[in-house]
Amino acid sequence: MGYNTLPYLMLFLPLSLIVYQVSGRKFRKYVLLIFSWIYFFLCSRELILYLLLTSAGVWLAGLAMDRAGNRKHLKTFLVVVSAGGLFGILLYLKYTNFFINTVNVAMAGKSGWTAIPFRHMLIPIGISFYTLEAVGYLLEVYWGRLEADRSFGRVALFLGFFPQTMEGPIARYQDTALQLTAGNPVTEQQVFDGVTRILWGMFKKIVIADRLSVIVTELYHNHSAYDGVMIPVAAVSYALQLYMEFSGVMDIVIGSAGMFGVQLPENFRQPFFSQSASEFWRRWHISLGIWLKTYVFYPVTTSDLTMKWNRFARKKFGKYITKIGTSFLALTPVWLFNGLWHGASWNYIFYGIYYLVLLMLEVVLEPAKKAFYKHTGFQKDGRFWTCFRILRTWLIIFTGELFFRAEGFRAGLSMFRSGFHNFGIQRLWDGTLLKMGLDKADWVAILGGIAVVFVADLLKEKRIEVKAALAKRSLPVRWAAFYALIFAVLIFGAYGPGYRQVDLIYAGF
Amino acid sequence: MSEIESKINEILMEQDDSVNYEEEKHLIDDRILDSFAIISLISDLEEEFDVRINAVEMVPENFNSIKAMAAMIQRLQG
Repeated sequence: MGYNTLPYLMLFLPLSLIVYQVSGRKFRKYVLLIFSWIYFFLCSRELILYLLLTSAGVWLAGLAMDRAGNRKHLKTFLVVVSAGGLFGILLYLKYTNFFINTVNVAMAGKSGWTAIPFRHMLIPIGISFYTLEAVGYLLEVYWGRLEADRSFGRVALFLGFFPQTMEGPIARYQDTALQLTAGNPVTEQQVFDGVTRILWGMFKKIVIADRLSVIVTELYHNHSAYDGVMIPVAAVSYALQLYMEFSGVMDIVIGSAGMFGVQLPENFRQPFFSQSASEFWRRWHISLGIWLKTYVFYPVTTSDLTMKWNRFARKKFGKYITKIGTSFLALTPVWLFNGLWHGASWNYIFYGIYYLVLLMLEVVLEPAKKAFYKHTGFQKDGRFWTCFRILRTWLIIFTGELFFRAEGFRAGLSMFRSGFHNFGIQRLWDGTLLKMGLDKADWVAILGGIAVVFVADLLKEKRIEVKAALAKRSLPVRWAAFYALIFAVLIFGAYGPGYRQVDLIYAGF
Repeated sequence: MSEIESKINEILMEQDDSVNYEEEKHLIDDRILDSFAIISLISDLEEEFDVRINAVEMVPENFNSIKAMAAMIQRLQG
């Protein structure tokens, strides 16, 4: 039951809202928890045991760390066992077959070697997301920045809150836990805001992303049949599909949670206006970036190993080389983790290494960049250089997403190479694109939809909030905008004969 | 401005002299200092003030202004 489906939008969400609202204030948190567990059960059946055991384990480990007080070794033991256990489960469920395959490939052809059979793994929804939330909570308690919560219900609701279960955002305990159990009544304004945000998300998902999914599936699945200009088309289409889909689902998620008075963290901030790879990652899947920064990057940056390196290298090589070394030490685990977190496949590992190299280049080239602007006298923030940097970042994003979506690392490499053969730009207008399952009307809907989202993002970038601007207009104008959004989704949405409902991409991670 | 604060200001100015650090109250929240800048800053502060900055200190509140950094340094110096 994805967030874009009718059972969720027309039945589960309204029913949960009604039951929440009619319940007494102190019972509302239990209503949310029960609905969250029902949602999980409907999606993953008996695998809900993983969530229940994780919730209980995390709650108990937190309390045990609190009890350990100043006994540092005991606290360290507890955090290593509990967080290690959570990662162990994730590793076992998601990576066993990847390791089996790697061993089989390495040993293939050796005499006496029989290939290890693959295991049939059943993976509960959202395990990659709630595991990170759980580890974040445990580390906060370990560091003493957070007091362990005595309420099991709150810990369980934090990990299992149904709008977030499938795709995040990966929240921090201190940001959402208290809101979840506040039990405030639902207001008219919250419902109106929530429904508007959900409609906006549905617009991105079913008007744009689900249409793009048709050509993306064709181009990546039959990649050997395409070369030249069709490769950039594949790269751009997937990057846009992923943005429209993931940010659209986040709109539905944040809109749903908002109706219960829970403000979840934003996961996107106009990523296509980024001027560098590092800025892109501060605007794209923000909650994952913050998690990695807080629980991987900073601990490594401030570790004993890094401190020793800093002391040694500063005397020996000076500040510049020291910073390069420190950045490498801190960024390598971040990007390997980022790649592997997305899944057990070499193209995800490559995707992580790709961004590691790009971010290292940013560090290495920083002085040269400063010298360039200083000596040439060019205005760094001038329109030309800003546009240049944005377009350069697009190239980085599109290339990265090509490998990310490719059906394996080899396929990605082969697609990348074939992009340089037989360019054939006429294929953009000679009808080739129209033979891939989308007709002219579909392309008009895609391009029109992208234009609408682009304008909305541009306004946000200029700090003009469409919602706030509309709120100042008269009631008829506000309702007209609301209905325009409903009709856009109903009329231009990609459903009916010829379309199948497209599963949520990030729910698979 | 205290002695610690002026030294922190000097360190920051060495990184980027186009910012008026004394006035800024949201260096992290407004992304004036990004994580790359923090990497250099941590080692500069550790060396200058002979303190150990652990992961637990890595919260925006400790780095949002010169005053906040000075308070953290004083606390760590015990």
